[in-house]
Amino acid sequence: MRRGNLLLIHSFVLVGFGLAAQVIIPQDDFAPGWKSSGRPSTFIKADLFNHIDGGAELFLEYGFDKLLVQRFARGKSELTLDVYEMESPESALGIYLTKCGQETPVAGIRARNSGEKSQLTILKSKYFVYVNNFDGDAKNLPAMVALANKALESIPEVPFDGWLEQLPKEGQVDHSQRLIRGPVALQPFFTFGDGDILELRGKIFGMLANYRGEGNAVYARLIIPYPVQKQALSVYENLRANLDPYLKILSTRANGFVFVDFKQKYGVVELIGSKLDIRFNLTSVPKS
Amino acid sequence: MKKRGYGSLEPENEVDRRQFLKIGGAAGAGWILGNRFLWSHEAGQDAPAQKTPPPRPKTNLEDALKVPKTKYSLPGPFPGKVVEVHHPDAMKDEKPNPEVIKAMFEKGMTRLTDKNLKASFGLFFEKDDVVGIKVNPVGPGLISTRLEVVDALIAWLLAGGIKRPNIIIWDRFDYMLRDAGYTAERYPGIGIEGLQTMDEAAAEGKTQDNSRWLRPDGSHVSAENFDKDVFYWADVEGPKDLPYLNQHVFNGKYSYFGRLLTKKLTKIINVPVFKNTGNAISMATKNIGYGAVCNTNRLHRPLFLDVCVEVPAFPVLRDKLVLNITDGLRAQYDGGPDGVAKFTYYFNTLFFATDPFALDMVCHNILVQKRKSMNVPVNENPRFTEYLRSAQKLGLGVVDDKIQHIRA
Repeated sequence: MRRGNLLLIHSFVLVGFGLAAQVIIPQDDFAPGWKSSGRPSTFIKADLFNHIDGGAELFLEYGFDKLLVQRFARGKSELTLDVYEMESPESALGIYLTKCGQETPVAGIRARNSGEKSQLTILKSKYFVYVNNFDGDAKNLPAMVALANKALESIPEVPFDGWLEQLPKEGQVDHSQRLIRGPVALQPFFTFGDGDILELRGKIFGMLANYRGEGNAVYARLIIPYPVQKQALSVYENLRANLDPYLKILSTRANGFVFVDFKQKYGVVELIGSKLDIRFNLTSVPKS
Repeated sequence: MKKRGYGSLEPENEVDRRQFLKIGGAAGAGWILGNRFLWSHEAGQDAPAQKTPPPRPKTNLEDALKVPKTKYSLPGPFPGKVVEVHHPDAMKDEKPNPEVIKAMFEKGMTRLTDKNLKASFGLFFEKDDVVGIKVNPVGPGLISTRLEVVDALIAWLLAGGIKRPNIIIWDRFDYMLRDAGYTAERYPGIGIEGLQTMDEAAAEGKTQDNSRWLRPDGSHVSAENFDKDVFYWADVEGPKDLPYLNQHVFNGKYSYFGRLLTKKLTKIINVPVFKNTGNAISMATKNIGYGAVCNTNRLHRPLFLDVCVEVPAFPVLRDKLVLNITDGLRAQYDGGPDGVAKFTYYFNTLFFATDPFALDMVCHNILVQKRKSMNVPVNENPRFTEYLRSAQKLGLGVVDDKIQHIRA
């Protein structure tokens, strides 16, 4: 493949928003002395494990479509650009919130991001982007920012549904919001039962955040809007019947039940219309 | 790094979970629940939701359990004993301090065995042993097993009388060993062996030429490196596509043990790194459980943590794995199993145990505390350590309140 100062264009067709766009992967001279190194690699659902063995399941659950990876070099230094095309902006936001840790934005990047000298984690529209600096040399940070911005230039802004706005604001702990789309994403927070017991199926988003309650103690709240009430009721009944064996139902209510977990913390599951509203890690039995 | 993974005795389980252990034992029929939760879904697909827990795939674990134990069988001479050695100067500014690490090694081995370094050798080895050192090269340079730890181990083995060619540093993948610095130039006279190769260019889609790993008869060039007579069988099919075969050598229901382990090594030392995998850990039992056999990706979803118990239960590991040292010089509390720099920190700690299950229980609990301190979500459901308790039920380790966690 002929190289030079030309930009190679790799197309990721945007589906679901009625428009087409292209992500342009920078090749050379996005920063002085940096050149692309080798051909770009592409991964699809079936072979994502070849790139992130053991980590692919999370991306697949959130709705992964394609990945494009390009390496860049200057002398002995190497950067890589990983552009993940997700199904939707919500999918990309979900994976971003899972991966970014405590958000530490790097100045100069023209998109939501978190990073430091070794890695930038970036979100724009339905794209989740990593810029990796494997030797961790802080001198490469300006080049990382330039590389990120060059790639971001070609990504269009897409209207975003404010899923997380459905979470109540009062008492919410800053930077604790997450989107959940299945058991892999839920795994670090809580186990309600085997498999995909909340039946999110990698299709339905739940919104999760931490809140400050009595005595300033932190608890978590997960709200899942199902498409129809019948489905929500089915999930609720399945959950109550197959609740994790490490959880014990203490009492039932007209539209829900209270449980205690293995650390003697409490939770409550409530069915409200087509939504499941679940609170857990409570330090006292929730009042009805 | 390339992208490619105080003198006190105290019980490890700070929470009284007895009631829940009883529940878990009943619900899981004495076996592991966590894995099915972890991976028993069809991610990103339109699979019907499961109303009842999926059945656990059958495996050939019973075959392993029928074989009588030897004097070297797990959990070794010190069931439940874990020694933690910390030194603030072990690693600074990206540079490990070989002298400090060597001293930490001596301290750890001395406290583990209650013998001096020279005498401790005789507990595990004879001079004609062929000793394999299983490192973890995933995340090379960032979170891989430090060469300086392996240096200390080799010096101990040589001093005990093991010949250089009879020491073999190994991992499943040859290219990962190279990337992590385990080369013939760095270790003259010492064996460096990957159980298999993988064509990275083909795996990354950079070439359609599969001839570097795929033979005309459709077999992988590393196929003979695995012993078809010694295997972990699970009723789960590996995918039939070429990318899978490239990475996993075989793709049926058999995960064969490396011939290096079945035919050549007489003892094994396991040197994992201190890191997470999701909400669980990827340390001693995962390093050896997933590192000793091929065709593993098929096992992630239905048997993720079970593999960390069942594969080491086979005599080829159970009777040869004599020592485990978890390298926590630089540790990683989130983002694993791949190396992610922002989640790493200088822990400057080494852990020593003959019992890998006790070792993982100790390290799991330490990692949980670290994750909490860094405001990383933690799910403390006992499912995530159920596999370790299962190992105890099989007589492979001690993970309950009989654990001796010694901070030396």
